[in-house]
Amino acid sequence: MGTRGQWLCLWCGPAFLLLFGIGFWGCAGFVPPIAPSLGAADVAAYYQSHTTGIRLGMAIAMGGAGLIAPWVALITVLMLRIRGNSPALAYTQLGAGCGGIVLLILPTLIWEITAFRPDRDPQLTLLLNDMGWIMIIVPFTLATVQCLALAAAILLDKAETPVFPRWSGYFNVWIALLFVPGAVAVFFKTGPFAWNGIFPWWIPFASFGTWFVVMFAVLHRILRRQSLAVPAVPA
Amino acid sequence: MNSAVDMPLPKTMKGHVPGETGIWVFVLGDMSVFALMFGTFLYYRALDVDLYMRSQATLNQNFGAINTLLLLASSWFVVMGVDAARQRRTRAASTLFASAFVCGIGFAVVKFFEYHEKISAGLTLTTNGFYSYYYMLTGLHFAHVSIGLVLLGFMWAKSRKPLTEAKQIMLLESGATYWHMVDVLWIVLFPLIYLLK
Repeated sequence: MGTRGQWLCLWCGPAFLLLFGIGFWGCAGFVPPIAPSLGAADVAAYYQSHTTGIRLGMAIAMGGAGLIAPWVALITVLMLRIRGNSPALAYTQLGAGCGGIVLLILPTLIWEITAFRPDRDPQLTLLLNDMGWIMIIVPFTLATVQCLALAAAILLDKAETPVFPRWSGYFNVWIALLFVPGAVAVFFKTGPFAWNGIFPWWIPFASFGTWFVVMFAVLHRILRRQSLAVPAVPA
Repeated sequence: MNSAVDMPLPKTMKGHVPGETGIWVFVLGDMSVFALMFGTFLYYRALDVDLYMRSQATLNQNFGAINTLLLLASSWFVVMGVDAARQRRTRAASTLFASAFVCGIGFAVVKFFEYHEKISAGLTLTTNGFYSYYYMLTGLHFAHVSIGLVLLGFMWAKSRKPLTEAKQIMLLESGATYWHMVDVLWIVLFPLIYLLK
C-alpha cells in the first residue's frame, strides 16, 4: 500500500497551524484576544480600524481549518491499526476531531460577519464579538473527547511494539485536561479566568499548538518506520 | 512554589522508576500547570494583599486540615498497599487499597460540606479574585481526586487476586504515582490558599 497519501495528510497539520496563525494572529491581530472588559464603543472601534485585516485574516484562518480533516483522518487510520482493540475509539476521535473543525470555522465566520458592517450599532458589534470569542474558547468538550479517545486507544494497545509510543497516550490525557478551564470564561470579564486570561486562553492556546507539534513528531516517526517496513510487510 | 515541580522522584532500588515511564510525562506536565496556577495566584495576591487576607479569613481551616490528614493517610495506605502486593500479601494489599479509597471518599465528603457552607454564605466563583482562585484551584484539584478515586477502586479490585506478573505491579505503581501527585498538589495548595500569611 502506498503511503504518499498519508504523508500528504501529515503535512496538512503544520499547514493548518501556519495558515491559522497567519490569519488569526498576523492579519486579524487576535492574539492576545480582544479583551472582554472592553465596552461597545471600543470593540466597534477595533473592528472599524482593522476591517480589512479581520476580513482577510478570517478567510485565511477558515481555509486553514479545513486542513485538520486529513490530519484527523490520518490519526484515525493509524489508530485502526492498533490490534485487538474496538474501532469505536478511532471513530470517536474521527467524529470529535471533525466536529472540532466546525467549532473553529464558525467563530471565524462570526468575526467575518462582525467585520462585514463595522459601522452598525456598536451594541450589535459587541454581541457578535462576544459570540465569536465565547464560541472558540468555551466549548472544550470535542477537543477533550478527541484527545481522551486517542489516549485510551494508545494505552490499551497491548502489542509488543505498540503503534503509538505509550508516553504519547499520557501526553494526550494531559492536553485533554488543559482545554477544560475554557468553560469558566463565561463567568468573568477580567482577570486570569476571563477569555483573555491565562487559564481559558493562554494555556489552551499553547497546548493546542503543542499538541500539533508533538503529534506531528509522533506521526512522522510512525510513517517513517512504516515506509521502511513496506517492502517486507505488505499491509 | 517551585517545590511542586522540583519534587525529587522517589529513589528506589537500582534506579527503578515506579510505574510505567510514560505516566511521568503526565505527572510532570500536570504539576507544571499547577505550579503556573500557584504562581499566578501569588502574583494576583500581591496586587491586593488586603482583599486576599480578608477573604482567606472566611475560609474554614478545619475542613482544609482534615482533608490534608485524609489525603496523607490515603497516600500512606497506598504505599503500604503496593508493598504488600509486591510481597504477594493479597489480603493486606486489598484492605490497604480499600482504606485508601475510603479516605479519598472522606476527602470528597468534607469538600462537599465545605463548598456547601461557602455557597450558602453567598461566597461564589465570582465573589472576588480570591474566591475565583479558591474555587478554580480546589475544583481542579477535586477533579483530580475524582479521577484518582476511580483509579483507587480499580487498584483495589485488581489487588484482590494474587498479582504474579511484573506488569500488574507496574499498573499498581502507576496508579500510586498518580495518587501521590494528587496528594502533593494538595500539600502545596492547602497552605497557599488557607494558611499563607
